[in-house]
Amino acid sequence: MQKNKRQNKAAIPEQEPRVSVPHQNIPPRGAPPAAAIKPFQIRGRYFTAVALRPEDGPLDQAFYAALDAQLRWSPHFFDGAPLILDLAQAPGLTRPAELQALTDCLRSRGLAVFGVQNASPLQTAAAEDAGLITIASGKDAPLNTDGPARPGTRRELPKKLRPPQNRLITRPVRSGQTVVAEGGDLVVVGPVSSGAELIARGSIHVYGRLRGRAMAGAEGDEDARIFCHSLDAELLAVAGLYRTSENLEPELLNHPVQVFLQDGRLCVETLG
Amino acid sequence: MSKDLKLEEPLGKVIVVTSGKGGVGKTTTSAAVGAELARRGHKTVVIDFDVGLRNLDMIMGCERRVVFDFINVIQGDAKLKQALIRDRRLETLSVLPTSQTRDKDALTKDGVQKVLEELRQEFDYIICDSPAGIERGAQMAMHFADEAIVVTNPEVSSVRDSDRVLGLLNSITDRAGKAGAEPVKAHVLITRHDKSRISNGEMMKVEDVLEVLAEPLLGIIPESKAVLRASNLGVPVVLDDPSAAATAYEDAVGRLIGEQIEMRIAADRRPGLLQRLFGRAV
Repeated sequence: MQKNKRQNKAAIPEQEPRVSVPHQNIPPRGAPPAAAIKPFQIRGRYFTAVALRPEDGPLDQAFYAALDAQLRWSPHFFDGAPLILDLAQAPGLTRPAELQALTDCLRSRGLAVFGVQNASPLQTAAAEDAGLITIASGKDAPLNTDGPARPGTRRELPKKLRPPQNRLITRPVRSGQTVVAEGGDLVVVGPVSSGAELIARGSIHVYGRLRGRAMAGAEGDEDARIFCHSLDAELLAVAGLYRTSENLEPELLNHPVQVFLQDGRLCVETLG
Repeated sequence: MSKDLKLEEPLGKVIVVTSGKGGVGKTTTSAAVGAELARRGHKTVVIDFDVGLRNLDMIMGCERRVVFDFINVIQGDAKLKQALIRDRRLETLSVLPTSQTRDKDALTKDGVQKVLEELRQEFDYIICDSPAGIERGAQMAMHFADEAIVVTNPEVSSVRDSDRVLGLLNSITDRAGKAGAEPVKAHVLITRHDKSRISNGEMMKVEDVLEVLAEPLLGIIPESKAVLRASNLGVPVVLDDPSAAATAYEDAVGRLIGEQIEMRIAADRRPGLLQRLFGRAV
């Protein structure tokens, strides 16, 4: 009898909260039930990937040697960067085993390969076998259009005219500073010191001496250019293709120049 | 403590002497600029921010008179008046020494601000002698500055470090953070200028330095034995016997307070025969 009583006593306080707590707490929390109970959210994500575009040749020792040389040249640039295989120039790369081997070799070098683009139907199938997704390359349209056509196509994307997202800097850019124009062109009126970094989605204009690093077309715009009053840069890059001070022609130094991509090559030309 | 000579409000201007690189002459410059301002009748205090490596007190010749220091004041262990050391040569000049036993973490932003606010009420010029580097000590020294003297040697690494510091002045200081505030006004002071080494190509030309730093030139201090001598004696170089370096500092201070003085590059003359006959030449 006593035992029973104790059990009852114990059971009541245990049960009470079980019944009352949910009744008190759930309704306010779950007020708009359908929306809040959803266990995930869907967000658009936008990021930059590096595209590796193999030429249509055998993927042999020479290919990997050249790749390794490139990675040594700029080790941090590729660190953990998501990488897409752009097969536009390599229609012959169709055998699943070959694609798998390439993927494995790239991953063993710390490159995070996750997809292919510009793939033929055969290549798409091979990519699927290798666990790679196929990225529609229609997005790349701005890269393929000619210069004059670009402003038009760009403006068509947003329905309303937005203010240009360019950035103007009127002070010297000092060593250790990084100036980013995420949405457009970057204009610097003043010198850019050695050790400073300019990054722009569009073009970069420097009305002064450029001693630091300048990266235009940071999101892949191959029409972006770099202009500067006096060239003494540590690094010039357009849409990921770059040159360092060591491989700039010495006769260009201290001259006004423009830097642009032409036929997949980074050209540096004097102005005026 | 004597009464204020001036009736009007003190100017209360905070000037940081900084450089990034070590050994370029920040402390010498702080002492010389402070002493010259004081000699011109401005109430001036020089603060040592190099916690743990204090030198300013030695260069100012008051190392034996340090009882309380900047850190004691920040931590509330002493009153500001107790820590300030009045110069024996110039009554308008004071020194706020730092601690030799603590480290830079003892500098708190609130503490520094409080001390500087108190000093602004009393002094015309508050010269902050920054430690080398761009870490806490240097950042605290520059944080509340109104103006900056960036000391640089005509040498590539010193110039690059100064450039970095100029960038910090425009980004991390109190003035940089406040919307609508004037940015910190920076001046470049070239020290250890050596004509012969520049003409040899061993050192950078003044134009090249200024081209990189793109800020107005406050003065060019020649490399001079007088500087080392004055430091060892514990006398700010402008209060020691006349020398090319002292003249250059005097001119620099004149420019700092807005005088128009033509830039001249002085150098110590080699003692001529007559000088050698008639005694010591500086």
